[in-house]
Amino acid sequence: MLVDDVVLASQGDAAAFERVYQAHMPRIFNLARRMAGPDAAEELTQDVFVRAWQKLALFRGESSFATWLHRLAVNVIIERFRTLGTARERFLSDSETVLEMAPAVRTKQMDLSMDLQAAIAQLPHGARTVFVLHDVEGYRHEEIGDILGVSPGTSKSQLHRARQSLRTLLNKKTLTETGRPAARRPD
Amino acid sequence: MSEQRRFGETDHEPLDQDDVLAQAIGQWRDELPSRDLWQGVAARIREHQQPVVATRRSFSFSPAALVLAASLLIAVTSGLTWLVARQPAGSNAAADGPVIQAYGLPEESTNGQIVQANFADAQFNAAVTDLEQILRDERDRLDPRTVLVIERNLKAIDDAIQEARMALNNDPANPYLNSHLADARRRKIDLLRHATTLASTGGD
Repeated sequence: MLVDDVVLASQGDAAAFERVYQAHMPRIFNLARRMAGPDAAEELTQDVFVRAWQKLALFRGESSFATWLHRLAVNVIIERFRTLGTARERFLSDSETVLEMAPAVRTKQMDLSMDLQAAIAQLPHGARTVFVLHDVEGYRHEEIGDILGVSPGTSKSQLHRARQSLRTLLNKKTLTETGRPAARRPD
Repeated sequence: MSEQRRFGETDHEPLDQDDVLAQAIGQWRDELPSRDLWQGVAARIREHQQPVVATRRSFSFSPAALVLAASLLIAVTSGLTWLVARQPAGSNAAADGPVIQAYGLPEESTNGQIVQANFADAQFNAAVTDLEQILRDERDRLDPRTVLVIERNLKAIDDAIQEARMALNNDPANPYLNSHLADARRRKIDLLRHATTLASTGGD
């Protein structure tokens, strides 16, 4: 049973930890792929499970293991963003200017047939994180604010702008393919 | 697709299902890695054979809490050990009871039988040795009073382990004693982990 495997793994049983890895890897890999893109997802997935191994003894069962691992994965990915991105852009701040560089100003260079993954890749890390956590993974703004160290209001405003940018890109794609704009819901 | 995705269940601004964005998310399929990632994970965790222990964390517990926990442990387990050890071996009604798995014993070794705790459990001993070494290395970062409390509690747990072992010499198949020994060992590991974590954070 997986719960037993978590207990065994927390006691240093690497074979049990491999079973835990096999059970949870697909979800963590896809979280990393959506948050950080396919190029970084494999290495990040490995980082997450190495970190999980190191931290397992701190898992007290206060939440489900899947929830604990998911949250740990989000933190590992965000740490990577911060490491890579702080010199180039602020990760996320109460200022909304971080999204002024969003795709709207880049559309001339973009392939109009890009999919959502490609569109998201054009977002700054902070906006991408908020969008994926809220709209894909189902986190609440309060939770996102807690993870990122910003206010829920900042999370909301980032989400609003991320959605606008993504809709612009996806509508361009739809318009190109069908000649009609896709359905749109104003925020 | 993630199990956590739940349109309309988030706190604000749920996406309309007709929204192009919601449709795009709905079509965003899960994928698998292009290669086996486990080998890389396995190689890296071999560098950390014992999970955790020395990671930094804003965690603390007071010496008073340690004293209380150890005192409770001593009072309860010593009393129960004494009571069980006093019973004649023939009166052990639990002989037909559930299998007790002693700490660290491989599951297949039980074979449906009550097992005797393995006093020379290699995994337990290795973990204790590693943690004690870390604690020795880091103890200078702790308040001397905290070190004193930790050492006192470790001795109390060691005494409980020793008592359980002595009792098991007279009644090796006793399920309570085996369980008690396993529990005492687990408590020792837990205390050592707490102590090393506390030391790694400088007693924060």
